[in-house]
Amino acid sequence: MDKASHLSVVIDLSPTQWHLCSQSSNPHPLPLQLFLSQLLAFFNSHIACKDENSLAVFGAFPGKSILLYSSTTIAAEEHSVNADANTYRPFKILDSTIMDSIRDQLEALELLEAEAPIGLVGAITKSLCYINRLTIPSSSTTRAGEQAVPLDPRILIFSVSPDQSSSYIPIMNSIFSAQKLKVTIDVCKIYGSDSVFLQQAAHLTGGSYLHLDRPDALLQYLTMSFLPPPGIRQLLSVPTQDKIDFRAACFCHKRIVDIGFVCSVCLSIFCNPVPVCSTCRTKFPIKTLQRLNASRPLPMSNATATSSVPRSPAVQDALRNGTPTQNNGSK
Amino acid sequence: MPPRRIGDADSDSDVSILDDFDGVGRGKGKGKGKAIDRRVKDKGKGKAKEQPYAWEAAYTRSWDTVQEDEAGSLQGAVQELIARGRRRRLLAPASAIRRTIIRHLILVIDLSSSMMDRDMRPTRFDLMLQYAREFIIEWFDQNPLGQIGIVGMRSGLGERIGEMTGNPQEVLKAISERHKLEPGGEPSLQNAIDMARSSMSHLPVHSSREITIIFGSLTTCDPGNIHDTLEDCIKDRIRISIVALAAEMKICRDLCDKTGGQFGVALNEGHFKDLLFELIPPPVARALARTGGAPANPAADLMIMGFPTRLPDTSPPGLCVCHSKLKSEGFLCPRCRAKVCDVPTDCDICGLMIVSSPHLARSYHHLFPVKAYQAVISLEDTPNPAPSCHGCSTAFREAAPAMANTSDGMSPLGRYRCPDCHNDFCTDCDVFVHDVVHCCPGCGK
Ligand SMILES: [Zn+2]
Ligand SMILES: [Zn+2]
Ligand SMILES: [Zn+2]
Ligand SMILES: [Zn+2]
Ligand SMILES: [Zn+2]
Ligand SMILES: [Zn+2]
Repeated sequence: MDKASHLSVVIDLSPTQWHLCSQSSNPHPLPLQLFLSQLLAFFNSHIACKDENSLAVFGAFPGKSILLYSSTTIAAEEHSVNADANTYRPFKILDSTIMDSIRDQLEALELLEAEAPIGLVGAITKSLCYINRLTIPSSSTTRAGEQAVPLDPRILIFSVSPDQSSSYIPIMNSIFSAQKLKVTIDVCKIYGSDSVFLQQAAHLTGGSYLHLDRPDALLQYLTMSFLPPPGIRQLLSVPTQDKIDFRAACFCHKRIVDIGFVCSVCLSIFCNPVPVCSTCRTKFPIKTLQRLNASRPLPMSNATATSSVPRSPAVQDALRNGTPTQNNGSK
Repeated sequence: MPPRRIGDADSDSDVSILDDFDGVGRGKGKGKGKAIDRRVKDKGKGKAKEQPYAWEAAYTRSWDTVQEDEAGSLQGAVQELIARGRRRRLLAPASAIRRTIIRHLILVIDLSSSMMDRDMRPTRFDLMLQYAREFIIEWFDQNPLGQIGIVGMRSGLGERIGEMTGNPQEVLKAISERHKLEPGGEPSLQNAIDMARSSMSHLPVHSSREITIIFGSLTTCDPGNIHDTLEDCIKDRIRISIVALAAEMKICRDLCDKTGGQFGVALNEGHFKDLLFELIPPPVARALARTGGAPANPAADLMIMGFPTRLPDTSPPGLCVCHSKLKSEGFLCPRCRAKVCDVPTDCDICGLMIVSSPHLARSYHHLFPVKAYQAVISLEDTPNPAPSCHGCSTAFREAAPAMANTSDGMSPLGRYRCPDCHNDFCTDCDVFVHDVVHCCPGCGK
């Protein structure tokens, strides 16, 4: 490990999901307390790996997102941490800063707010802004001789909430900007079903997506897979994703679809044939609508259609996009 | 029909000095030296314009145009650049515009002897190849569902250099071998356009057809009437854009104006790149809007598409339906579960068009742009101003600096406020959010 590496961490702190995760009815429950203590151990080892390593921690709370800790701005200033002979001082500062701000935020949450959608997109875009500022020699950094640009920036997302399909477009936009900044996105899914969007994020940025089988063994996963920077990880065999789901969310109901109807002008996705595109107001030819309605795929369950009935060749031909061979549906 | 030469007798401005020269013909660069002589004589006139000729500007480089301020800092110059970008964004419409997104482009490159001119460094030809490469990469980045083909103009003929394909690597490979593209002879606009037109004739109606020509010559050597070709292009709804490296020719201007394309003459290396890269963003669907009277837009259609599942290379091997090869990795058609090697493609079994959703998503920022942030001039009407940037958490400066750089559209406090979520952002984040992320960290959508 010769280069310094920057790690931005996004923690999904939805009270509802963490409550569900800590239920003892789960095979391997992981209460938030235990999660945080394992996480802090991981942060400490990241800082300890190399002196120049930097860390920024973002919390995604219901309806908002906050920078909890950043190793560049909090340069061991105000925090009057009680000196403890048994703890390395930077570790102590990191631990208490993160714990304090999480506690403050969670206590400030009103009961109603706790149900608001999680501010995951905000947290991811903020971490991108943060990395962007680190990478460009900014005009606003006043300190001369700012340390060399940390290479290998990466983002690690801890997710417990299910996908919000309304965040499909912003998450995709964040993925493309991460690609532009050469940022790797790693995802650690602790609880709940697989997240289609975060799978795509990890796949498209060359990171890994890990769905934990044993959430209580979190620290083991973290040190084995996410501690080494991406450069070194190529030499190790880090667990890879088996399947990647490239499904998208439709614009009309924000439903996740595997077969969609797409406007040729703006590429908006709809789950049903619609006469007018709601995004760009384009009217579609009636002939197309009749053809598509006649050849509708079987009513889609929200899960993946595992098997579908093979169709007759004539229908298949009509389905072929862009070739209005015959419209067996009309008249 | 004997080849006919179309000069630029009826073009305007500074080109007029070259009129008679075209009649002489350009034999082995002899005429060229003469042309430069004339231009030198005409120097006063050229200087009157904003930009000098490329050969005059041989020794001006970007670092000369950046001026230091009294303190010896470049900050002022850099801020001016940023301010210009901001103003441009404020002018742009904030609502969703309709753009053609499934694009088909034929890039026509001039391989005539005039491309060996050294008025652009190292030569027009090498510079064109370099910019063409960058153009192709950026074009595919912004138009992931598009396809590019390449046609060359050499020795009075149109030459097919690269077939139309959606794979950037294949397009780049087509122009990677420099020695196969060695310039020579006269160009023929008509032959090249006809060849480009024929290779786009099979395309479905909802895709755009575009021809972009990089043209270094001042003549064209055509077998027939090029105005007939122009009529055909208008009929086929082909949009022609031309980047000329020498001077404006009437026929080039006509080709662009009548087909709805863009025409520009490159003044120097940087301007050449700017003109070329202006053609990258998907064109606003202007031609479509005009057909508003019709009940439905003929060029718009609803397409059915499938989003596949990707299998990793550790999955059990199976035969792909496209090549019948035994392999582990691949994509599963969501309708019939057939395995295909690559996307985007049409499923060979059920005919469904299979695309990976990130391909589509790349173009969505054109549809939902982030509203421009407003520069905060003073904090008087803000009760509790945020101490740091909402994006990157850098602290804001307390007060405006004494020698405030008050170029319009810039905030003396370095604060830019989102009109929707009312959070303040720093200059760096303002640029980054609007140019790269296309998503406001405060609004989160
Ligand atoms: Zn829908
Ligand atoms: Zn549309
Ligand atoms: Zn195959
Ligand atoms: Zn299929
Ligand atoms: Zn900022
Ligand atoms: Zn906002």
